[in-house]
Amino acid sequence: MGPYGRVGQVVDELDDRLGIAKGGRVFLDKIFPDHWSFMLGEIALYSFVVLIATGIFLALYFVPSTNQVIYHGTYKPLRGQVVSEAYESTVNISFAVRGGLLVRQMHHWAADIFVGSIVVHMARVFFTGAFRKPRETNWLIGTTMLILAILEGFIGYSLPDDLISGTGLRIGYSIAESIPFVGSYLTSFLWGGTFPGNVIIERFYLIHVFIIPLAIAGLLAAHLGLLVRQKHTQFKGEGRTETNVVGSPMFPTFMAKTTGFLFMVAGATALLGAFAQINPIWQFGSYDPSKISYAVQPDWYMGWLDGALRIMPSWEFAGWGHTVPLEVFLPAVVFPGLIFTIALLWPALEHRITGDNELHNLLDRPRDRPKRTAAGAALFALLFVLFAASSTDVLANYFHLSLNFVLWAFRVLTFVVPIVVAFVTYGICREMQGVQGIGKRKRAVIVYRSAEGEYSTVTAAPRPDDEHEELDPEPVPVRIDIEPLANGPQAANAESSPTGARRVTR
Amino acid sequence: MPDARRRQVRRTQRRRLLLPGGLLAIAALGFLALVVPAVSAQASTTDKTGKTTTLGNSIKSCGSLNLKGVSTAANSGNPVTSTRLVCMDGALILYGNSSITYANPPASFAAAGKLLFDQTCASCHGSDANGVSPTGTATIGPNLQGVGTATVDFWVTTGRMPATDIAAVEAERKPPKLTNLQALEVAAYINSLDPSVPAVPTPHLKGANVANGASLFALNCAACHTITGAGDALAFGTNAPSLQDKKVTAQQVAEAVRIGPANMPRFSGNLSDTQVRDIVAYVTTYIQHPTNPGGAGLGGVGPVAEGFIALLLGVGGLALICFWIGERA
Amino acid sequence: MSDDEQETTRTRVPMPIATLSDPHLGDAAKHPSRVEGIIALIFVLGIVMTAGFGAAYWQNWNPWIIGGTMGAGLFLLGFGLTAWGKYLMPQGPFVEERHVLAGSPEERGAMSAALVERSAVVVKRRKLLGGLFALGAGIFGIVAIFPLLRSLGPVPGTSLDRTDWRKGSLLVDSNGRSVKRGTLVVGGIMTVYPQNFEYSPNGQATDQTVLIRVQDSDLVTAPGRETWAPAGYVAYSKVCTHLGCPVGLYEQQLELLVCPCHQSMFNVRNGAVPQFGPAPRPLPQLPLYFDSDGTLRAQTGFDQAVGPGFFERTTTEKL
Repeated sequence: MGPYGRVGQVVDELDDRLGIAKGGRVFLDKIFPDHWSFMLGEIALYSFVVLIATGIFLALYFVPSTNQVIYHGTYKPLRGQVVSEAYESTVNISFAVRGGLLVRQMHHWAADIFVGSIVVHMARVFFTGAFRKPRETNWLIGTTMLILAILEGFIGYSLPDDLISGTGLRIGYSIAESIPFVGSYLTSFLWGGTFPGNVIIERFYLIHVFIIPLAIAGLLAAHLGLLVRQKHTQFKGEGRTETNVVGSPMFPTFMAKTTGFLFMVAGATALLGAFAQINPIWQFGSYDPSKISYAVQPDWYMGWLDGALRIMPSWEFAGWGHTVPLEVFLPAVVFPGLIFTIALLWPALEHRITGDNELHNLLDRPRDRPKRTAAGAALFALLFVLFAASSTDVLANYFHLSLNFVLWAFRVLTFVVPIVVAFVTYGICREMQGVQGIGKRKRAVIVYRSAEGEYSTVTAAPRPDDEHEELDPEPVPVRIDIEPLANGPQAANAESSPTGARRVTR
Repeated sequence: MPDARRRQVRRTQRRRLLLPGGLLAIAALGFLALVVPAVSAQASTTDKTGKTTTLGNSIKSCGSLNLKGVSTAANSGNPVTSTRLVCMDGALILYGNSSITYANPPASFAAAGKLLFDQTCASCHGSDANGVSPTGTATIGPNLQGVGTATVDFWVTTGRMPATDIAAVEAERKPPKLTNLQALEVAAYINSLDPSVPAVPTPHLKGANVANGASLFALNCAACHTITGAGDALAFGTNAPSLQDKKVTAQQVAEAVRIGPANMPRFSGNLSDTQVRDIVAYVTTYIQHPTNPGGAGLGGVGPVAEGFIALLLGVGGLALICFWIGERA
Repeated sequence: MSDDEQETTRTRVPMPIATLSDPHLGDAAKHPSRVEGIIALIFVLGIVMTAGFGAAYWQNWNPWIIGGTMGAGLFLLGFGLTAWGKYLMPQGPFVEERHVLAGSPEERGAMSAALVERSAVVVKRRKLLGGLFALGAGIFGIVAIFPLLRSLGPVPGTSLDRTDWRKGSLLVDSNGRSVKRGTLVVGGIMTVYPQNFEYSPNGQATDQTVLIRVQDSDLVTAPGRETWAPAGYVAYSKVCTHLGCPVGLYEQQLELLVCPCHQSMFNVRNGAVPQFGPAPRPLPQLPLYFDSDGTLRAQTGFDQAVGPGFFERTTTEKL
């Protein structure tokens, strides 16, 4: 047994077979910059893990079938009603399977958090310019994952075939139908005929549990792989350059923090699933194409499309024997297509506009790029207005305004608010650029008055907690003296280590 | 004993019997006069199978009745097609079936009702309740003649009437100004001007089928009131009120369905009394007392509230944790 | 391989040895033992909660107890581990050099040369084969769409143009009951289907129709429709012309059908013409008549396709 005991033996055996020693050591030494905003992507990563785990549980009990059955379960208002098997199995999971309702709710909360954290992470990457060369590919992968996550969520909450999600499917069908030339063919192929047909739940199930998760998992592996290969970006600061990374090591620090964070994300999702009810499908009833509820909303990440559909004027082009429903096609197909295309092309767009072809490993502060920040802020403002527009009826009810007035107000706001936000953001950025020491706590100024009445100022000494000495970054130590020799500093000798280890070379 | 004295005694004994005997006879006759027609009216409308017989005669014995507000379909709140019908003194007292019985308040309430009406309602509805101004011919408010007792009872017991904001598009529910009894009195008065239907319904919830009620609620009610009964704003300043409010009583729900107040449609022949009873049962149980097994109901308004919680608490909370874990620049 | 052989094949690099007193390896917390105690407490709480979760699941307690204990247990364990990593593990800061990803110009040249020159060898010398393979792959790509797309479902054909309403179709509600002259009063609304289609989801989806009694006498909603609404019974397709939601919301006094999804408003008196909102076309009207039994029937089917617009939709409604 060598000086590193059983662990050393295992490393030796694995290295003989897989050659892991050299790369493994490099991997353990990897440095991760510590800024808090770099962990937002991990929220998405770990909620994806929670989704997979809870999803497997649900898939064991869910029946993806549109066959009509009679409900005989425990929830009285459904007893004797004709429902689809998909709906019945979901109510079953909620009421009859132990922990089923908890897992269902965890799955749904995790999905909402998943998309939300992707958006927040994407915003961080955007506003700090981390998508620039060499990371454009990662940006493309990430944006694709956002699109897939939104689709996945929509398909997922449509699986139970309840009244509210079924209405959403009807709307989705009509949106697809509105596409010129191919719309009615697309819907007839996907739904196996006219709406509602009897294959859509089965097909969506396959897409939801197999096709898209596989795609996301693959893209995720590529996303993380690129991150490992290209190393993480970092903010400018003491000792940080374009050619290094400063932070804490992978093992043990980062591993501990990130594993802890995984537990916390899972725990937070479980707490939400335990105490906050989400998607109570037993209250909604099974989907019946002639039934409808007022105040029906899609899940939050589709809200912007719902808002766009509500405020769009009723323009429909009909002529030459054909109809193009622009009031559907423009807000629900063209508009999101445009937004996502701009998102995908943004690195190329910025490259074209700025002519910048340099490698960038240091991040911008948002205020240092006022135009980009203003553009991003304007986009978020537009999305926010559209989200609000999807709740026109709720807003009219709460504020006792006329529904018609609220709708017209949103038509105007959709154009005015992003423009105003863009200008205001630009102005704020420029101002912040010009202010000395912005973001740092101001030092107090002592005012002296001389005998002649002249005023002078002296900056006060910094408060004790304001001064903070940062150590110079050093490479990760190759070996650590756990038990220093009795005879002091001579121990720092590569040849004779107190633990008698054999020499390791890089 | 001398003869005069004996004769006196006999006269007194006869007088002692005459007065009470006479009064008793009058009472017996009066009782017969009241009861016999009532009993015979009942006997003539319901037999052992509960089916109606000699309806035409019975409904005629209810006096003139404004049947504008009800459908001709069976068991839909129409006195003519009801399995139970009671008229007395040319007035409709009660009708309906085992699911819902409709009853008018006693005609004697009308006097007190007129006093209350003159105080509280006449300023908008006119002194003759026909919506015409007391001082002229201008129309100042809705005509209440012929609306039926259920309508008056609904608007008054929900507090919507007397209206405090004339300019409002629809009168809102608020704490009622008149008590339930006073509402019935006003209803009796209005009904006395032009007897009409529907009468005040009493739904008999025992034996209701809530599953049927849930399905009917989804088809007929959820389009305005939402599937969880939360209510919402509709077009042009109108709104569908919340049914989750526990102040909404079973009677008020049944009334609203049958009378169609304000912009609410009037459900008559398209919903039988049994169906209305099932809907009322569903509303007063699962709408007003949702089981919410999953935790906090979040208002029952669906994905909007859920999205807020997911973003603010979920993503926001976890971002705060990131803020704690990591460094600040 | 022995140690000696390994040493000769690899480069030797001076290796500084750090001691535990190095501040880079030190604890970030000012009072490490106190922090350790707190973290230990958090771990103990987490263990208790996790055990509680086990008990709650085993005993089938309320979902919120099962979830609450699981969530609290996970969260506390994670919180403790993260705190350990943040306060008691080496924070550094450590630095790592970024190795330039790009290769040398020679390596790049070699790669480009391989691609360009070797493919030139193939393409220049075997043009016919290259072209044929490209053609084959292209054709396969097109043909592969057939099982992927075309087999999924039928072509739409005329399926979107017609409903199941025909001449003489009996109007029935969801329970199969027919409609007589006295069924609805003024201000009443009900959902009707053609007889025998009230139970099938496909029938419900396209055939669903709202029947409204707007007045007591015959209603004329537009020129040419004098007989369509006898005794004030008017029937419109319930499928919204915007996105297909059932237009079930009727405001009696305003005589407006409002679609609950995006608040399109249709005037029932003049042929369901949209007054407001995103719907582009009026709801198609179903012509009605009373048969000899006094039951309501349809004169014909709808005169146009119901529901939202699609490319092949040809009829435009003129009022």
